[in-house]
Amino acid sequence: MFKKKMTTSLLALTLGTSMLLAGCGGEEKAATKTTKKAETKSEEPVTLQFWDENAGPARTPVWEEVIKRFEEKNPNIDVEYVGIPNSSAKSKYDAAIAADDTPDIGSMQTTWLPEFSIREALLPLDSYFKKSEISKKINPSATGVNKKITQDGKLYGIPYAQNLDALWIRTDWFEQAGVQEPKTWDEFFTVIEKMRDEANNRYGFTIRGGAGASFTIQRAMFAYSGLDFFDKNGKTNINDPKHVEFVEKYFSYYDKLTPKSDITNGYKEMIAGFDTGVVAMVHHNPGSYGEHNKALPAGSYKLIPLPTTEKGQYVAEGGNAVNLAIFKSTEHADEAWKFVEFVNSEEAQSYWNQQTGQIPTNSDVLDDEWVQDAQHIKTAFEVYNDPDTKLYEPPFYLPDYRAILDGVVDPGVQAVMSGKMSAKDFLDEWAKAIEDSKEKYDKTFKK
Amino acid sequence: MLTANKKVDKLLTLYLPLTMLLSFTIFPIYWTINTAFKPEGDIIKRPLQYLPVNPTTENFVTAWTNVGFATFFKNSLIVGVSTVLVVLICSTLSGYALSRYQFKGKRSFMIMLLCTQFIPRAMMIIPLFVIFKNLGLISNPLSLIITYTAIEIPFTTILMSGFISNVPKELEEAAMIDGCSKLQSLRHVVFPLLLPGIVATGVFTFIYTWNEFLIALMLTNQQSKFTLPVGLSTMLGEFSINYGALAAGSVIALIPAVILFAYAQKHLVNGMGGAVKG
Amino acid sequence: MSLSQGVTETVINSEKTVKRKNIKKDRWVPYLFILPSFLIILGFLFYPIATVFYYSVQHYDVSAPYYNGFAGLENFKEIFTNDKMFIPSLINSLKWVVTEVGLQLVFGMILALLLNQTFKFRGLVRAVAFIPWAISGVLASTMWSLMFNEHMGVLNDLLMKLGIIDEPQAFLASTSTAFTSVIIAELWRGIPFFAITLLASLSSIPNELYEAAKVDGASRWKSFIYVTLPQLKNTIVLTTLLRVVWEFNNVDLLFNLTGGGPAHSTTTLTMYIADLAVHGSNFGYGSALTVVSFGILLVFAILYLKLSRYEKE
Repeated sequence: MFKKKMTTSLLALTLGTSMLLAGCGGEEKAATKTTKKAETKSEEPVTLQFWDENAGPARTPVWEEVIKRFEEKNPNIDVEYVGIPNSSAKSKYDAAIAADDTPDIGSMQTTWLPEFSIREALLPLDSYFKKSEISKKINPSATGVNKKITQDGKLYGIPYAQNLDALWIRTDWFEQAGVQEPKTWDEFFTVIEKMRDEANNRYGFTIRGGAGASFTIQRAMFAYSGLDFFDKNGKTNINDPKHVEFVEKYFSYYDKLTPKSDITNGYKEMIAGFDTGVVAMVHHNPGSYGEHNKALPAGSYKLIPLPTTEKGQYVAEGGNAVNLAIFKSTEHADEAWKFVEFVNSEEAQSYWNQQTGQIPTNSDVLDDEWVQDAQHIKTAFEVYNDPDTKLYEPPFYLPDYRAILDGVVDPGVQAVMSGKMSAKDFLDEWAKAIEDSKEKYDKTFKK
Repeated sequence: MLTANKKVDKLLTLYLPLTMLLSFTIFPIYWTINTAFKPEGDIIKRPLQYLPVNPTTENFVTAWTNVGFATFFKNSLIVGVSTVLVVLICSTLSGYALSRYQFKGKRSFMIMLLCTQFIPRAMMIIPLFVIFKNLGLISNPLSLIITYTAIEIPFTTILMSGFISNVPKELEEAAMIDGCSKLQSLRHVVFPLLLPGIVATGVFTFIYTWNEFLIALMLTNQQSKFTLPVGLSTMLGEFSINYGALAAGSVIALIPAVILFAYAQKHLVNGMGGAVKG
Repeated sequence: MSLSQGVTETVINSEKTVKRKNIKKDRWVPYLFILPSFLIILGFLFYPIATVFYYSVQHYDVSAPYYNGFAGLENFKEIFTNDKMFIPSLINSLKWVVTEVGLQLVFGMILALLLNQTFKFRGLVRAVAFIPWAISGVLASTMWSLMFNEHMGVLNDLLMKLGIIDEPQAFLASTSTAFTSVIIAELWRGIPFFAITLLASLSSIPNELYEAAKVDGASRWKSFIYVTLPQLKNTIVLTTLLRVVWEFNNVDLLFNLTGGGPAHSTTTLTMYIADLAVHGSNFGYGSALTVVSFGILLVFAILYLKLSRYEKE
């Protein structure tokens, strides 16, 4: 009885599926035919699809203006903007690449470049870049990182904006309390203690314990130690005693000198803490300028660099940038490059970065008046421009890199904050995950 | 006239519990509307403003104009209404089969319906994308209409079969004796009695499509074809959180749903109870 | 809309006497009726579901194609022997589903019964009571996280004004309150679902049944137990079953309010899968976990239908 049912349903299934497949095949052929026809027919007007990975009311109009200006200069090229909500952008790219249906140009974080290039989705841009004027202007350390992290050492993305972790502080409170801006990490910890004001329900600092905690703690601890990500023998420095010491101290402030809700703090909550006048200092980047500007009176806050190492060095994480990449599937690589080139021109970068509060990578822009007037951009730029600034490079090329941050580091941070795990165990676990992943990767590519 | 006793009774069994449940329901809605009318800076300012101190409509303007809301709104309507129609036809038919007939494979069909709900949607995205890419339907509202229909059918079929079972079979048979054909008896006798069920099913389907985010985002590669939830979610970026515009956009998005509820709720009484009484 | 008294009487009189008609003649009719639904599901959901089963025996990571290949049962072995997250997240799923569905059903039923009575402005009240159901996931999670916030949340402000708490609470940050907070937010969104379905079913109960009960001198409570509940049984059984499945797979509020924290205390199985597959792009292992949860839900559904004696008196 049951068998009979099974066979009938199986029969039905195969029938249905074959019907579907037949349908697919036919449609597909028809579809490709029409697109090909369209292309051969029309040499002149070209449409490029461009995906923005951080769309919203703040950025979408800026991109639309940049595209408008580009189209005016290139009347035969039509750029179609697609704005993707930030939190789903990676999945959207993942699905598009897996199904081989990618746009012509995409905006993407540096950390995605190695993965997308190894999945053979992106077009190497080295030869285009070499021939272009912009190769002389774009910050070489940013393009250098992009090459270093890919498997084949090629350039797959042109960074059009950089970012830098830094501290936003309430200058008015600092003045009232007679406290100096922290220059070293020791001073940073003292400030947290001094700025705690129980009477006014104010805290000196807020820790990011929720989504994205991993990035913050990684950047803070390397800024403290000034170490490289891997030592000379290829072992990671994650669980170096210096980091253990730092992480222990950093999280010991939680729930005593920082708010209790820190443990699930994401970007929203952390910024809200600063903007509602609850915390005096927050570790973020120039990108949140717009939020503070809306909520706080001018002159009551400013951006300062993360404290320096014992040797007085600034530290920055390499690859903290957004890039334009061209997808291999494009039929109009030359036109796509024109757009990439335009976005990275002085005109476009100046406009885009001014509007969004990011740090330009085109050196010509840095002389612009608005950069000189924007305290937060100038500060960040000075850190990047300081010859002593140390750049460390995390292994973005490890396929598990992001998964480790999300799956081991984020929950680990919460475990340490809630006292369920020691800082040492946490860092050991993190280091082991990185090393296991690296070993597997090195074996595959016989490094 | 109500006696005092009856009044107390009504207070305890109706007004009191209703007020409690409604306050729970309304509070977040009130807070959303309150947020929508505040200027950006005031939203997270303390002391909290229970009514906007500087009321403004700028958030509505931002939401409506800056990211192309009008288009998203229209797209959502197209997808929603079409899905509702297709779902209603399919699920009334299959619901009827399930409730009125004993047939071989009925149980298997039921299990199949249930099985489709066991897989998290996130796991189905890439294969769905592949199917619609092969059909040439990426960025086409049809892809959403079809997917939503497939996803909603199991629930709506089961829901409809429940409503159909509640219509006494004998009513239908009596109508057939009167000389109605099967289809006519469906239309004239069963359909009116089913109206509450059909309305409820339609509402569920519409609300689902109106709010579905993941599939809509994934199967659409053109800005001009995005639906409302996709547009709304761009209000929360890593560098800009626009609470005001999100709230305003959501209030706009709520309007069709509220109209729908206002219309639908009327039909939730006129069913069997009313008919038999009449 | 109304029917003649005659028909009504036939219905009531014939209810018990008319036997099931034999409909052998049109044996193909039910198949014709289910065909459209069947084809749409087969055509568009069969393949996506089949891929999950296929990838469960593969190493399949979209971000590292060079590791991909046949895995046999390795993924499953990993789940049952090595995965420290599997059991705790499954337990969280159970807690989540049982409390959510249980509370939603109870409050949904109460709301439906209330809204089924007659009172002034009923239409308006009904429309308002259903609104949470129509609110998108993005807004629901953002509003609740704003309201729960320690520094500027309106809940803290209200509770302090009412003198219930002395200082602001971090509702989403402590293991003891995080889960409850998300439960409340999801409850808010889920009550109307049951209220609408039950209200629709309530309005299809013939009034005669209540009148008969009244004649027999049954109290309100008794007529609820003996008239209303049996009439609603099939609806309750099926909507509850579906709701269980949906809540099992529902992650958006959990995701946005607590992100599964603090320290995984609110990570459910589906959330864990979404983390692995969507954010970690490890679809092979994620698929294997999905297959396991598929099995759990299937067994549950079959047992539940058996035990609830669905479609039986």
